[in-house]
Amino acid sequence: MATVEELGVKQRVQWCPGCGNMGVLAALKGALAELGLNRHETVIVSGIGCSGKMPHYLGTYGFESLHGRSLPVASAIKLANTGLTVIAEGGDGDGYGIGVQHFVHIMRRNYDLTYIVHDNQVYGLTTGQAAPTALLGMKTKTTPWGVVETPFNPISTAINGGATYVARGFAGDIPHLKELIKGAITHKGFALVDVLQPCVTFNYLNTYQWFQERVYKLEAAGHDPKDRAAAMEKAMEDSKSDYKKVPIGLFYKEERPTYEETLPQIKDTPLVKHDISNVDISTAYEDLE
Amino acid sequence: MLAFSIKIGAQAGAGVMVTGRSLAKCFTRGGLNVVAYPEYPSIIRGGHNSYQVVVSDKPVHSPLMHSDIVVALNQDAVLFHKDSLSKGGALIYDSRIDAQKFKPRKDILLFRLPIEDLLAKSGATAKMANTVALGAALAVSGYPFGLLETVLRDEFTRKGENIVRENISAARAGYDHAKADFKGFGKSLKPASDKRKIFLEGNEAVALGAVKAGMKFYVAYPMTPASTLLHYFCENDRKLDIVVKQTEDEIAAMNYAVGANFAGVRAMTGTSGGGFSLMVEALGMAAESETPVVVTLVSRPGPGTCMPTWTEQAELRFALHASQGEFLRVILAPGDVDECFNLAWRAFNFADKYQMPVIILLDKFLGESTFSTERFDESKVKIERGKIAKDLPELPPNTRFRRYALSADGVSARPLPGEPEGMHVATSYEHDETGYSSEDFSVRKAQVDKRMAKLDALVKEIPGPALYGRKTADVTLVCWGSQKLPCLDSLEMLAEKGVTANLLHFSYLFPVNVKEVQKALAKCKKTVLVENNATAQLAGLLKEYADAGFDFHLLKYDGRQFFPEQIAGEVAKLAEKGFKGRKEIRIGDADYEYYNTQRYGL
Ligand SMILES: Cc1ncc(C[n+]2csc(CCOP(=O)(O)OP(=O)(O)O)c2C)c(N)n1
Repeated sequence: MATVEELGVKQRVQWCPGCGNMGVLAALKGALAELGLNRHETVIVSGIGCSGKMPHYLGTYGFESLHGRSLPVASAIKLANTGLTVIAEGGDGDGYGIGVQHFVHIMRRNYDLTYIVHDNQVYGLTTGQAAPTALLGMKTKTTPWGVVETPFNPISTAINGGATYVARGFAGDIPHLKELIKGAITHKGFALVDVLQPCVTFNYLNTYQWFQERVYKLEAAGHDPKDRAAAMEKAMEDSKSDYKKVPIGLFYKEERPTYEETLPQIKDTPLVKHDISNVDISTAYEDLE
Repeated sequence: MLAFSIKIGAQAGAGVMVTGRSLAKCFTRGGLNVVAYPEYPSIIRGGHNSYQVVVSDKPVHSPLMHSDIVVALNQDAVLFHKDSLSKGGALIYDSRIDAQKFKPRKDILLFRLPIEDLLAKSGATAKMANTVALGAALAVSGYPFGLLETVLRDEFTRKGENIVRENISAARAGYDHAKADFKGFGKSLKPASDKRKIFLEGNEAVALGAVKAGMKFYVAYPMTPASTLLHYFCENDRKLDIVVKQTEDEIAAMNYAVGANFAGVRAMTGTSGGGFSLMVEALGMAAESETPVVVTLVSRPGPGTCMPTWTEQAELRFALHASQGEFLRVILAPGDVDECFNLAWRAFNFADKYQMPVIILLDKFLGESTFSTERFDESKVKIERGKIAKDLPELPPNTRFRRYALSADGVSARPLPGEPEGMHVATSYEHDETGYSSEDFSVRKAQVDKRMAKLDALVKEIPGPALYGRKTADVTLVCWGSQKLPCLDSLEMLAEKGVTANLLHFSYLFPVNVKEVQKALAKCKKTVLVENNATAQLAGLLKEYADAGFDFHLLKYDGRQFFPEQIAGEVAKLAEKGFKGRKEIRIGDADYEYYNTQRYGL
């Protein structure tokens, strides 16, 4: 168990002043502290991007992997040691762009892990190109005439793709985001928390104010997260309303066996604790005779 | 005398593999030495498949160009394989084929097998045509029937007792018919002992070595010729108490393998060249983050999709240079199934001790050919996990474990997630001793030096090339990986031609133990480097590291490995000319002869 204080690491923070990532970090720290998780039994796996710096600011175990690859690395860590709490995180470019194949397939598998996406509609670390979630018409370095590709919708993709916990938070509302993250970590199965995260340096359009004027909480609106059809409706409300209304909160939640639960090999003992000092392969020989 | 060779040919999808394997197992159970070699195109139905079984009471290593018996289940098989028959050899063919129209040589025996009638008589279904032929081939070989019955029983038990019985009676019908009618074949095979042997592919031998090493997680995306490794693990996962994951692609597979190793589980991935191309970035991540990882690369011809079901040794340089940046890695290239087993378990020790990627480099030829051997010698197997850190002192508040602490041997302590007070971030960025990204020049240099410092201890664990045959010889063959097999079999053929030859074989390719290599090469008179590629990649590597050179390069890169007859033939020619002539000798096989209407008057 660790307090928010103990979860910190003495380190220069490499984010711009006012960066939405600060809010995500604060919410995650709060969630870990309130859930009473042990630091040494928690692993944060990131991709590459501004968002990917996160593991360095938390006193847990961490793996800063490659651009787009947090999910496969995190999946294997979970399979290797089911006793760990595994949280993957990264940017929208990371997860919905270069690594989207992992996102699509991890939802079918329903590993028991949490995925936090810092959704800022741009590529921050590489200085402001368009990300898959950039809104139509948005001008960026790589879209001087405005984005013409329909924005990727992570929420509807996740509900449709088999994710068992689908939420969206806002980096400007830390207490709310913290609760969503806590729900994701305690949820048994794959949990997506997409976080609206203003990039104060490269995204002139989707600012804190822009979001504040548009977001509303699903809980307050009486949304039932067990209702898949309603969840799909809500997932598309932002684009349908021409971004006048952007719902945040828990869209969808479902109980389904996790991938790990289907494996008798790790039912009693996590893989990492299997004794490998003298593995007996005599039955393998017998089969080959 | 050359080893005894039987070749079975049929249309793809007709079950040649199962038939051939049953025959090979039957000889293995008789204590004989067996090599079984499948050839098949990258088509599921309609192409031509063949399965060659080479058998002897003396050691055999490699497929041969010649056959003593050809079993032809379709017309193509007659046409393609009849000329591989040695003098006095037997062509057993389905009576529905008009073999005469292909003008078979006069010096072979023609055994016309009425498969349809025999099937009807034995009450078996048309699917069991192969089994009838199998029985006939066994009878012509002079081998007793009994062992085939046990093999068929084991092969078909899971399909039910009826199928077992029908197969046995189909085989029996073929066997009895051949015993009664097929006379005059001069050679015969007898069981040598009832000592149990195992019969397995190179890929399976790697699998066993990995499991013995404590590999608990295998992760891959299917790709020929590495798929049988995945299939073996999937079929046996619960029995072997391992977890196997088929991923969305090879990018994921390598990232999973690195993630599992980071968490402390010995994990491996496997693929062929195309998949390895996708793994390259994460291979570099393993190196930069000093995470152990083992990958089995079963190569096939390249580049691109190329010839998926054929073989080539053209990925030594790729394995060596894959990824941006400069870092150490270990490359192991087993030359037979015993080495597959031994290098596989060693691979995991190298990976853990030196915290770096290890590549086990096979090819289709070794990976998918099947060999009889004794149960592996496990007496030398050791599990060495290197500097896994445990029972650590308390970390000062808000600090991290120094995962990348500089050390004289370049290897730093590695706590596994779950270990109290070992919290750190493994990272693909350059980093300081705590794992925090750093772009300080001195930090960068110190970390590169640290990682490179591992070479000193590592290279001491790398043996030089192994010498086979006599200590001194007129000519020394030099090869790596799978080509050990045909090279070994060519030595005796060369002796029969009056050329004394021996073999230097490299199974540890990288890092190069320069001293040992130079010592071994200094003892050679004439040298012929034998590589299954177009650019003599080992020669280049040894030139670069050991300033070594070879008198001749014998190269083959047409999709097939060398046959021993070819090596013996080319080297004997060189000997005849007093080892003078062009340095590079490039050979290739003749294509199968397709229907030549003029020649056969069709
Ligand atoms: C294979 C690869 N391609 C490209 C890059 C360069 N790159 C680093 S981060 C990044 C995008 C970052 O955007 P995002 O994932 O949205 O994260 P953010 O920085 O906005 O948090 C790119 C393109 C890389 N590191 N690796």
